[in-house]
Amino acid sequence: MGFIGLGNYSEIIRDPLFWKALRNTFLWVVFGVGFQFLFGFILALLLNQKFRGRGGIRAVSLIPWATPGVLIGLMWKWIYDGNYGVLNDLLMKLHLIDAKIPFLSQLSTAFPSIIVTIVWQGIPFFAIMIMAGLQVIPHDMYEAADIDGANKLQKLFRITIPSLKNVILITLMLRIIWVANSVDIIYSMTGGGPSYSTQTLSVYIFNKANVLDLGYSSAMAIVLMLLLAIVAIPYVKSTFKEE
Amino acid sequence: MKKFLIILTVVMLCFGIAACGSGSNSKSNTGSSSGSNNSSTSGGSGSNSSDAQEEVTITYWYWADNSEYSQVMQNIIKEFNETNGKGIKVVGEEYPWNGGAYSEQLFTAKISGGGPDVAAFKLTSTPLFTANNLLASLDDFVNNWELKDDIDENLYNVMRQAGGSDKMYVMPWNTQILYVYYRPSIFEKAGIGVPTTYEEFLEAIEKTTMDTDGDGVTDIYGFGMRGSTGGQEPWGSFIHARGGSFAELDSEASIQGMIDFVNIFKNGYAPPTAPTDGFNEIIANFKSGRTAMTIHHTGSSKGMVEVFGDDVSAFPFPAGVGQWTSMGDTNNVIFESAKNKEAAFEWVAYLAAGKGQEDWTIATGNVPVSKRVQAMDHFQDNRFMKASIDSMHYAGILPILSTTTEWISSDWPNNIAAALLGEKTPEEVMKTLQERLYR
Repeated sequence: MGFIGLGNYSEIIRDPLFWKALRNTFLWVVFGVGFQFLFGFILALLLNQKFRGRGGIRAVSLIPWATPGVLIGLMWKWIYDGNYGVLNDLLMKLHLIDAKIPFLSQLSTAFPSIIVTIVWQGIPFFAIMIMAGLQVIPHDMYEAADIDGANKLQKLFRITIPSLKNVILITLMLRIIWVANSVDIIYSMTGGGPSYSTQTLSVYIFNKANVLDLGYSSAMAIVLMLLLAIVAIPYVKSTFKEE
Repeated sequence: MKKFLIILTVVMLCFGIAACGSGSNSKSNTGSSSGSNNSSTSGGSGSNSSDAQEEVTITYWYWADNSEYSQVMQNIIKEFNETNGKGIKVVGEEYPWNGGAYSEQLFTAKISGGGPDVAAFKLTSTPLFTANNLLASLDDFVNNWELKDDIDENLYNVMRQAGGSDKMYVMPWNTQILYVYYRPSIFEKAGIGVPTTYEEFLEAIEKTTMDTDGDGVTDIYGFGMRGSTGGQEPWGSFIHARGGSFAELDSEASIQGMIDFVNIFKNGYAPPTAPTDGFNEIIANFKSGRTAMTIHHTGSSKGMVEVFGDDVSAFPFPAGVGQWTSMGDTNNVIFESAKNKEAAFEWVAYLAAGKGQEDWTIATGNVPVSKRVQAMDHFQDNRFMKASIDSMHYAGILPILSTTTEWISSDWPNNIAAALLGEKTPEEVMKTLQERLYR
């Protein structure tokens, strides 16, 4: 084994699997985190309302976040199973499909399926963070808006969202980094297949390290770290400015 | 005084006789335990010669998958020590397999000058050990061994192939060989017999794919295809059946085998989940009656019989232009550092063709390498063992290269999925697989 300088980096540039994994990572993060945020926000608004049994529902809604990633992967793998999966069974009974769908074995459905899984896992995290932010917004701001005749949407876009700006930014940043780095769910559900269609950069790094190609996997890890730094730096900069 | 002397003499004689008695009892106990065993092996002369010869100690590393196998190995060692008649004492040291960490531990021990004289061994580790000159060549020992022909010549060739040279460094011990499981009742319903040629096999896959309730949806798929990791082994049989090989995956013959494989899926003779089906899925599909045939080894036969009783059987992967099936292996090696290689060979020979072979393969359910043991009723009366034994003369392994691990875990499943799902042509995939394996 010799010193190859930047050899691994030049190989990365020529590696079509790296570019495919990078594209998958981008989609994984955009759709995964995007939908987590959207549904997490809606869940937070709902759970912030006063209703009977709110405490219990808040506790139950935390379950996906509290479940280990590998377990989530295995659980959803069985839900999606093309032969005996409960999802296929349900869709057949509802007469929505005529034949079972091999969700994780088709190029068209494998990637959306794993995105649904990561969204399911991450919704509670956004909900908790946003709910915590909602509870510190002074109530008199809403009362003042009511007196001024603001409707619900105006209150949402003029008071709620601006007040949550910092919470949303830090939650998005944290989640983008975590989701981009996550291996457990994809690895336990598809291993990156079929035909590399679900292989993100972190899964590719893991697969390479697994076959002891440690130099190449380390080089890709550095690239991933630099890409994630692009996400983190603006936030860190703005924090310093505020201080 | 006279009386006292007489009494003393009588007492001393009695003690003397008693002492002789206990002495002879002690000897006869040792003798009876070793003697009775010797009588079955070397006619009782062993204990005398072992007394005369200097004792040779051989350290032996092995792994056992469970406590029962561990006890079996300890008993084999004990029996060998008692019966070999050459003063050889094997000291067994058990280490966990630990997902292959055993081989790394063995390598570390040997490269640092320690470790055993003999060890249980997987063929995939051979290049690493031979590159560091750690293994003793067994050619001379095997060529001069009176039981050489008790082991199929093909197995010796596989051992040589693993070393990457003409020399043999690994002694066969026990194997697991892939064969085709099938459901006799489904074959009967399809009106076919057990295929004897590759063409008949492809035809059987087609005919056993059935819509049993007439709703237009396939209920039984002819072949439980494994597209995920591990599937390269049954897939290899298709490639060889058309005359292809692992050496030339991009040859016309290999590509034709690949086209057959893809067509099974595209024509709907394998479950739609096949591109990602692994071991658990192919076994579950077969056990649930969703597939009529699948390929695996004796490790799953007990579970199959529990589900189907007599309605499950096996046949060797049939011959086409060529014939090949995959062989899992557990073998033994003698290290170059062993001081007494003759004694070490006595031990590995005992495991390969002696009583150790019988005891170990009967206990573990693995396929014996010794023809004498294979001929025993215990193995011949078992239809799955029979299919394995009948496949032994053409069984083989994948090339052991530095690229093999990644090829198996990533290149093969992803490229095969691309072919099955129509993303790439069989030709493109075979070209990629060839490049990736020999890059």
